[in-house]
Amino acid sequence: MATLKKSTELLESMYSVIALLFILVACVELCDAAAAVDVYRLIQYDMSGSPFGSRFAALNHHAASLSFPPGADLSRTVLIIPLRELNITFVREYITQKKPLGGLLFLLPEVLSFKHGGNKQVHEKEKMKKLLAELERLLVHSNIPYPVYFAFENDDIDTVLADIKKNDAMGQPATATTGGYKLVIPTAEPKKVASPTITNIQGWLSGLKADGDANQLPTIAIVASYDTFGAAPALSVGSDSNGSGIAALLEIARLLSLLYSNPKTRGRYNLLFGLTSGGPYNYNGTQKWLRSFDQRLRESIDYAICLNSIGSWDNELWIHVSKPPENAYIKQIFEGFSNVAEELDLKVGLKHKKINISNPRVAWEHEQFSRLRVTAATLSELSVAPELFEGTGGLFDGRQYVNETAIIRGVKLVAESLARHIYGHQGKNVQIFADESSLAVNPAYIRSWLDLLSQTPRVAPFLSKNDPFVMALKKELADHADEVNVQHENLEGIFTFYDSTNARLNIHQVASVTFDLLLLLVLGSYLIVLFCFLVITTRGVDELISLFRRPPSRKVKTA
Amino acid sequence: MTMFHFFNCAILTFGPHAVYYSATPLSEYDTLGTSVKAALVYLGTALVKLVCLATFLQVSENDGFDPYQELLKALIGFIDVAGLYFALTQLTHRNISQNHKFQAVGLGWAFADSVLHRLAPLWMGARGLEFTWEYILQGLEANANLVLSISLAALASLIWLRKNKPKTLIPIIYACAGIVATMPSITSYLRRGLGWYFPKVVGFELFTSLVMAFISWQLFSACQRPSA
Repeated sequence: MATLKKSTELLESMYSVIALLFILVACVELCDAAAAVDVYRLIQYDMSGSPFGSRFAALNHHAASLSFPPGADLSRTVLIIPLRELNITFVREYITQKKPLGGLLFLLPEVLSFKHGGNKQVHEKEKMKKLLAELERLLVHSNIPYPVYFAFENDDIDTVLADIKKNDAMGQPATATTGGYKLVIPTAEPKKVASPTITNIQGWLSGLKADGDANQLPTIAIVASYDTFGAAPALSVGSDSNGSGIAALLEIARLLSLLYSNPKTRGRYNLLFGLTSGGPYNYNGTQKWLRSFDQRLRESIDYAICLNSIGSWDNELWIHVSKPPENAYIKQIFEGFSNVAEELDLKVGLKHKKINISNPRVAWEHEQFSRLRVTAATLSELSVAPELFEGTGGLFDGRQYVNETAIIRGVKLVAESLARHIYGHQGKNVQIFADESSLAVNPAYIRSWLDLLSQTPRVAPFLSKNDPFVMALKKELADHADEVNVQHENLEGIFTFYDSTNARLNIHQVASVTFDLLLLLVLGSYLIVLFCFLVITTRGVDELISLFRRPPSRKVKTA
Repeated sequence: MTMFHFFNCAILTFGPHAVYYSATPLSEYDTLGTSVKAALVYLGTALVKLVCLATFLQVSENDGFDPYQELLKALIGFIDVAGLYFALTQLTHRNISQNHKFQAVGLGWAFADSVLHRLAPLWMGARGLEFTWEYILQGLEANANLVLSISLAALASLIWLRKNKPKTLIPIIYACAGIVATMPSITSYLRRGLGWYFPKVVGFELFTSLVMAFISWQLFSACQRPSA
């Protein structure tokens, strides 16, 4: 009875020891990696219910390079493709024909990284820009059932890739039995972003009301959309689209607020500055912002100028309108801009694109104004309207692709034209914002904002309500305007976004199962040899032989 | 797959001890008790050494070779020898011949050393995805350590348990014992002072262990002859 009790006690203590052992096993971290790299995931979104982008985030497969032996099974392999070896037709074939693949990892040159690239010059800019634009277009509009990641090249990854290429060239793609490299990204499944908010910021500068003037002063609006969209949301900094527009808007606001700070130089127009969000999604934010206006305010807007991508042009800018060019207001605006353009030694062209109310696609921001019957125009370096999700700040739209001189000239153009209209100096040869004056355009201001914008990814669903960057924009506008308002709205229904935009990739060098089997064989034979050696030296050879011979004498004895 | 690798490295590290026990006459004479007692004595000496190291040694910032610190470590290493002396002479063994006594003590000593120094890193590291040669080299080191421990035990038993030794051999015995006892210091000097890589150090250990084993075997049989 006592022994039974003791044995059960012993068993119980054994159980607790075993449980402890299991806990210890579970806590071991298997993160001893050959290299660890920051990677950025392809965007994942649904548009009207249809899935687009990369649908998975977690990765745990062997790596292979483009020189894999033809006919190899790649359904559990990740292809590592550096940009310089990218063959778009190959990738397009894989995606459109839905060939099974474990994952894709694109390696971008380090100069494109806004964290480490710095200000190094990019070789073959145009070729790279075209290639990246094409790749982005392909990836953003496809439904890809495996993880797709982007990473920047560095020494670690380069050595790993060279090693993989060597192995592949020998005709042995990495699988569980042949060793090689394993890429592991331990993240959870991507979840929907709960209620993506778009935040519009507006700044108001009141004009000078003369005594006894009962009517409301006319308003001029200057608008730019600040959010971006790209294949890799964590890399979408959109320096040109639309970082250039924002930097220009802030500088224009600064200059005009200098003029308006003194009652003697305050114009007879109200000024409304708008930093809108939701640009890539058919200018959804602008539409909501305009709808929130009082009817009287909307009717008092004389005209609105929208800025979109004015950072990388040489000599020609375009003004896009939706009202016919014969319209008196449009003529007036265009003439004003042309006069200033002539003085600044650049060309301004006029492009007319009719709006189609039944088509939900809104290509320019001014179209949202026009739909509510407000005269508006967009100033841009682009001559053709961009397609959906194009020109919204993609992979190639980094600091190197923007020219701050272009922005400075654009600011001069807009500010001068606006000021001449406000103060009634059209056609006169007066330079209000002359260089070397106290109202000169400040290149350092533009440069510092451009640098900041080039380091901040701004995809709207991933910007929270109180995102520090949005707060910074609000604070900056508050410095220049009398009154600043922030409007939070929900992003309209047809788009759903998924989180998990960046992760850490662990590259492990693994040995194959065959290696361990061989090792087992070698060790087994070593131990057997050791055993025989020891038996022979200590007990004699006879003992060894006798171990293998059955004892024969027993049978004889019983018989 | 990685548990497989852990299993492989484990049998490389601990297998030879089991094989040694079962292959030699130790298993016939049931000297397991002696080995276990020797393992416990090793545990005790390891604790004493830890306390001494913690008290007297300073942590150096760089990984270089500091002769003064190494000398101190070597002196503390002699506590090892004292522990071995205790295990050989003071513990009451059953009636086992001296031949088997030193083998049992050496085996227990080496097994405890392997378990304490190598089991935890093996468990933590060899199960990971990443493949390194380190654990296989560690296993080879454990093998060399086994041979060294048995030779040290043999020499120690010669020094303390055998009463009549040929006079000429005594200094050689002490010299060899001294070399084997200071093996840890020598290897750490090689690794830090000369900057040898781990495979080279392990190769050196294996080579010297075999040489020392051979020498101590010769000495043992030489001392055996007069009394036989």
